Amino acid sequence: MAILDHDAALARAGANVTGLWSQAAFLARRYPLGAVGGLIVVAFVLTAAFANVIAPVDPLSTNSRASLAAPSSTFWLGADFMGRDMFSRIVYGARISLAVAVGATALGFLIGIAIGLASGFLGGWFDLATQRLMDILQALPLLVLALVMAASLGPSLENTIIAIAVALVPNVARVVRSSTLSLREQPFVEAARAVGMGEVRIAVRHVLPNTMAPLIVLATAQLGSAILTEASLSFLGLGIPEPYPSWGRMLSESAAEYVRTAPWLVIFPGVAISLTVFGTNLLGDALRDIFDPRERT
Amino acid sequence: MGAYLTRRVLLMGLTLLGMSVLIFVMLRLVPGDIADILVDSAGIVDVDEKARIVKELGLDKPLFEQYLHWLGGLFQGDLGFAYVSERPALEEIAPRIPVSAKLALLALIYSVILGVPLGVISAVRQNTGLDYMLRVVSLSGLSLPSFWLALLILMASVQWFGVIPIYTNEPRSLVDEILLLSIPAAAVGFRSSALIMRLTRSSMLEVLRQDYIRTARSKGASQTSVNYEHALRNALLPVVTIIGIEAAFLIGGLIVTETVFNIPGVARFLVEAILWRDYPIVQNLVMLIAFITVVVNFLVDMAYMALDPRIKYAD
Amino acid sequence: MRSCVALMAGTLAAFALATPALAQKQGGILKFTHRDNPPSASIHEEATISTVIPFMPVFNNLVMFDPKEKFNSPDKIVPDLAENWSWSADKTKLTFKLRSDVKWHDGKPFSANDVKCTFDALIGQGDEKVKDLIRKNPRKVWYDNLKEITVGSPTEVTFTLGRPQPSLLSMLASGYTPVYACHVDGRTLRSKPIGTGPFMVVEFKRNESIKLTRNPNYWKKGQPYLDGIEFKIVPNRSTRVLGFVAGEFDMTFDSDITFPLLKDVKDQAPHAVCEARPTNVRSNLIVNRDREPFDNPKIREALVLAIDRKPFSDILAQGNDLIGAAMLPAPAGVWGMKPEELSKLPGFGPDTAKNIAEAQSIMKSLGYGPDKTLKVKVATRNIAIYRDPAVILIDQLKKIYVDGELDPIDTTVWFTRVQQKNYQIGLNLTGAGVDDPDVMFFENFHSSSSRNYTGYSNPEVDKLIVQQSSIEDKAERMKVVAQIEEMLTRDAARPTILHGVGNTCWQPFVKGVVLQHNSIYNSWRFENIWLEK
Repeated sequence: MAILDHDAALARAGANVTGLWSQAAFLARRYPLGAVGGLIVVAFVLTAAFANVIAPVDPLSTNSRASLAAPSSTFWLGADFMGRDMFSRIVYGARISLAVAVGATALGFLIGIAIGLASGFLGGWFDLATQRLMDILQALPLLVLALVMAASLGPSLENTIIAIAVALVPNVARVVRSSTLSLREQPFVEAARAVGMGEVRIAVRHVLPNTMAPLIVLATAQLGSAILTEASLSFLGLGIPEPYPSWGRMLSESAAEYVRTAPWLVIFPGVAISLTVFGTNLLGDALRDIFDPRERT
Repeated sequence: MGAYLTRRVLLMGLTLLGMSVLIFVMLRLVPGDIADILVDSAGIVDVDEKARIVKELGLDKPLFEQYLHWLGGLFQGDLGFAYVSERPALEEIAPRIPVSAKLALLALIYSVILGVPLGVISAVRQNTGLDYMLRVVSLSGLSLPSFWLALLILMASVQWFGVIPIYTNEPRSLVDEILLLSIPAAAVGFRSSALIMRLTRSSMLEVLRQDYIRTARSKGASQTSVNYEHALRNALLPVVTIIGIEAAFLIGGLIVTETVFNIPGVARFLVEAILWRDYPIVQNLVMLIAFITVVVNFLVDMAYMALDPRIKYAD
Repeated sequence: MRSCVALMAGTLAAFALATPALAQKQGGILKFTHRDNPPSASIHEEATISTVIPFMPVFNNLVMFDPKEKFNSPDKIVPDLAENWSWSADKTKLTFKLRSDVKWHDGKPFSANDVKCTFDALIGQGDEKVKDLIRKNPRKVWYDNLKEITVGSPTEVTFTLGRPQPSLLSMLASGYTPVYACHVDGRTLRSKPIGTGPFMVVEFKRNESIKLTRNPNYWKKGQPYLDGIEFKIVPNRSTRVLGFVAGEFDMTFDSDITFPLLKDVKDQAPHAVCEARPTNVRSNLIVNRDREPFDNPKIREALVLAIDRKPFSDILAQGNDLIGAAMLPAPAGVWGMKPEELSKLPGFGPDTAKNIAEAQSIMKSLGYGPDKTLKVKVATRNIAIYRDPAVILIDQLKKIYVDGELDPIDTTVWFTRVQQKNYQIGLNLTGAGVDDPDVMFFENFHSSSSRNYTGYSNPEVDKLIVQQSSIEDKAERMKVVAQIEEMLTRDAARPTILHGVGNTCWQPFVKGVVLQHNSIYNSWRFENIWLEK
């Protein structure tokens, strides 16, 4: 089981450097694709954070003279049916995607980690019950589960986050549980127990940090799939409601009607989703190579 | 072994039972029920009319009773009546299954035909330009939203070929149908092919590092024969399993693709039924999907055990 | 040999049938796009064009608006199942003489009893079996004045009214008023109905298609010309339009082509015939007058003044939507106010800057301003045609210091929410089945109407509504209608934003299509349409 130890991981990979920047430079050279992914993710986060500075206009304000305006110096990426500036909408859309990706992943991980740790440590009927619950959640494909959840909660940002988070829980819980089970018998845990450390403290102080590596890899992968799931839900009309500029929402209904007269309505939001997910995937691959060299791809 | 099988089958039953409770409860959390929908299309809610419909559909009975009624019916092969069409739910669902199944099968064929060879090539040529290119392409397959890809394909085929690959008329023959479905299947299959390619690549790499491959090489076997005969055969095991699992999970991709291409399959039907609050349809479809997933997982495990003698399921 | 004989027989038959008409050709299946799954096949139970278009051809009415005329009006009503009709001297009894040669699709004869069953069900009379014919009755208010239906003989039926109501005949002529068969139950009518009309239902596959086939025994000899009609349900508009452009469909759904889309269709299918016509569906603002702050008539007045209609029309229909009060404006509408009268109503004046300044000063007098905005939720149904204008409305309200947030309501609970008054302000769409003041005013504004879901109640308006209903002279009636319109607008009773206009397109070989310009609901019998292939 990989242990989260940057220096060890780097040394194993053949780096002979210290210091944050030089380490980053080494990693970028060694994993050029991962570096590209990292850059994309950073750009995405910055766009979301400074959306109000970057976007030239309010993404919700309509303009009757600009309906379906083509890309130009005023409307960099064109305007939609309501004359809303696409560039501003896509920039603000990054906020929604980021909120959903981070929100759903964080929530899913919190619940998943709690369940996994408890399950691995407590064992017994609790373990059995939660395992069966995870079985049930895993009996449906991610999108189907999120779809049913989103429909029953109603369309809103919070509910979309919850729906996707629930769908992410089982994977996390499984990973944490299996690590916990194997770590529980390790000598250092035995030792901690011998000196009278409580189970909860052992779980949090010793076991959890040692499951970080696979979790980070998993989290990066889940970020991308959370973004894609949100886009699909919104596309189907069950995710983020109008008028909020969700990328998936932008591709549904009226946008798709103008695919030929105004292809920019379909192309740019799609590019935004794809590029962002692509970035997280590249980064995720590189992280997996770094943390988990046995499963090198 | 026998005990293991019995335990697995019991667990599967338990999972499905749990799913039935979960879906039953979640559906009833949705704001608005079928009576609202039926009344809504009249543009006005007449309280008496609504009460009558609620009664007619048995929605006024206690939830527990409704649940038992549904479950009891399931065991007898009676899926209940679809609320909107007022026809047996089975009659509504059954004809849509083959359509989705064909689409899924085609998508799977695509993904295997593309994914496995490209994965092998990528592994054999590890860290070459070709490998990098294939890896980027496969990652893009995991990054494109499938509905976007479907929209782009639809746009392109109308723009350049003047035809629209949507299910407007019932296809006259199986060949027609396959031709028609092959385009949407490509949209679904692209993602799976990317997944299979990545898996093939990593398991190939794993095998290529193993001792017996080195042995084969040192015994003078040619590079090609080592790569393709020895390594591939052993690398395929995990690939076969992921193909099995992917087959069940394809339904997620089908939902959006069937919507964009207007294909009358079960996946699109599920979305429509959710929007219509047609409980008998949604409940049964979800159970069907869960059943397929659970059974496929089981079969995959069994296949794994049969194919790889090192794995033993005791317990 | 056999095929030769068949061919000859076919030619002869076609010839014989074609002689009385012009050059109509027999045969062919019309492929029609449908936008969504009809909630059911029972026209009387639904209030949507999605049901009317595919199922109107299955039925007949007592009377109908002349299908060859472009405008519905009381003087353009022609016989259908009724050969003729007459009013009693006091104008409260309407007697129909029915055809005797009509059969239902299952071969049973049609008679006056079927008419009685249908209308008994609509006014809530008759036994359980009759009540089972329909389980919802959205147009109950149309027949509030209909007291009794009496069968004189198998070919004679009399409608007794509570007070004179000349416009009853217009409602009977609507596509919304087919005659149902007494011997068919409600469930069949909702799923695979039996009628007397030119086409019979082959199948209604939910979310997929509706197939109709020619009724070989139709009582109008020689009609219909089509062998059948196939409605293909394609929920995604872009897919529908692409399908039409690619030649997969012969005709688009009614008003399916918006103005921004029209250019695309014209470019890609230059030979397609497209016609624009009002949908007689109007977007309107609903205001919850029972709750703060909109219980204050001042704020309601400011809202009415703040609506700037032209940008709505520019965005939604490239300037083609119509501006009017509740009734559809001329020239399409028969009862709309004259433009010069209309411009005197609040918010309709041409000087929008002045209107907005006035609204701003009202808001300021109530303590609102740029620094203290009024925060409201703008409820609307979560469907694009509702949401789009709502988004524009929110944008416009910013000018009068109203900070609106869209509250998209799940379509299933929209009417429940509105009826429970669980909203502040909202954007709503209201369609009119028939371009007639009785239909508009009784349905939406009379205090006793079940469809007056904003609960608007003004005794004076109620009185005027009843008054105009009995007036036979059109000019006289129009005066009262204008008076009602003015009161409604001043009261902010669902002030109209726009009357929608949409385009319907068909391939050039589809002949005999007549779209009526003041209602989309009354001309879908399909019996005069043929394919020139």
